[in-house]
Amino acid sequence: MAMRQTPLTCSGHTRPVVDLAFSGITPYGYFLISACKGAGQHLPRLSGQRYGKPMLRQGDTGDWIGTFLGHKGAVWGATLNKDATKAATAAADFTAKVWDAVSGDELMTLAHKHIVKTVDFTQDSNYLLTGGQDKLLRIYDLNKPEAEPKEISGHTSGIKKALWCSEDKQILSADDKTVRLWDHATMTEVKSLNFNMSVSSMEYIPEGEILVITYGRSIAFHSAVSLDPIKSFEAPATINSASLHPEKEFLVAGGEDFKLYKYDYNSGEELESYKGHFGPIHCVRFSPDGELYASGSEDGTLRLWQTVVGKTYGLWKCVLPEEDSGEVAKPKIGFPETTEEELEEIASENSDCIYSSTPDVKA
Amino acid sequence: MQTPVTIPVPVLRLPRGPDGFSRGFAPDGRRALLKPEVPQIQECPIVQESLESQEQRARAALRERYLRSLLAMVGRQVSFTLHEGVRVAAHFGATDLDVANFYVSQLQTPIGVQAEALLRCSDIISYTFKP
Repeated sequence: MAMRQTPLTCSGHTRPVVDLAFSGITPYGYFLISACKGAGQHLPRLSGQRYGKPMLRQGDTGDWIGTFLGHKGAVWGATLNKDATKAATAAADFTAKVWDAVSGDELMTLAHKHIVKTVDFTQDSNYLLTGGQDKLLRIYDLNKPEAEPKEISGHTSGIKKALWCSEDKQILSADDKTVRLWDHATMTEVKSLNFNMSVSSMEYIPEGEILVITYGRSIAFHSAVSLDPIKSFEAPATINSASLHPEKEFLVAGGEDFKLYKYDYNSGEELESYKGHFGPIHCVRFSPDGELYASGSEDGTLRLWQTVVGKTYGLWKCVLPEEDSGEVAKPKIGFPETTEEELEEIASENSDCIYSSTPDVKA
Repeated sequence: MQTPVTIPVPVLRLPRGPDGFSRGFAPDGRRALLKPEVPQIQECPIVQESLESQEQRARAALRERYLRSLLAMVGRQVSFTLHEGVRVAAHFGATDLDVANFYVSQLQTPIGVQAEALLRCSDIISYTFKP
């Protein structure tokens, strides 16, 4: 009996989810942070949903843990440090903030001169990299929050994404049409890539030093060390974000046609596509163990998807067919909180699965 | 071509959302012990009760940590110190419900390597491994 994907919708944000990030695997599991825009900036009098509210969730279930309150504008970027003890957010209120991810308390507010778009911790959580509309990369020493950050200039348009790479010895940054590699120690540019189309996202995979860049309908893979191209795929629609599975077997991507696409990384074959979101997908990321991926959309929701459909993991519970009956297998276990009708609703709510190959789901 | 009949993957429940009245980060959540200790005044009897529940929480967190340490050991090389100064090394497999026995493989003993073995926990003084 073939199983179809049941995406799990995480409620809470009512505004578009523009960024999401997973922590590493900690003794308490792994965690997920999501950032959303506040109310439309053209409605300054709207209270409540006026400001972006980054949220922390348990990574494997999507359960809400807490909301970081304090920003006074849309939150464009959010990240967690490796052990999920700290969070950092980048906002339209011209600040980046560092938070205690256990208590939810604000630890630091770092003033900038324009909208901040991206934040990233080093592996040891000692430094925070920020970038935004003022076209400067800033490096803050989190042990000396009063000290002035080191600044790297060179970008000619607003910085959309900035990431530490090569064990924090280098920095990768993307603006509208370029991706640049900088040396941390000398603060100078090492190499750059130019694009004809706007770069929509960038992901760095430390194991294998791979950089995933999306622009237009392309999903491109480059060496993070040399920036040399490795391969690229074309999707059916404009892609806003893509993520490579930790074992580099698949990649997932989502964009303007509201669908999530899953590809075989080695062959480039499209394996699955899922409808589910009611708006463009802004961000998509695999969990650190590769068992699920999360997508954030303009529709204000965060959804979790299984990498191997039908596997027991997190809130997904595998069902074994009854041995003696030749009939359609039905779940034997009574789910106290969800009736079968509700289960059907959860699954079919908005996810029509379109298999591009055989019904046996390749995973 | 007929679309195959599929059933949706069952779920235990939906992810929990915000409670709607607080910012969360529950003080009795999983990671509670990672928060810095708030100093408490000792006089009031109501404080006594919360001390007990604090102790309970601490015990629960320590138990959880121990169970997670066992999980982290699976598949790893562990060295055990047994009675009378005997030291053995093995690959840790699993423990039983009461943590009375450890199932190990490739147990290196002074008299040879045992492919699979059960180590009685009451015989173990200490064990160490690198995660």
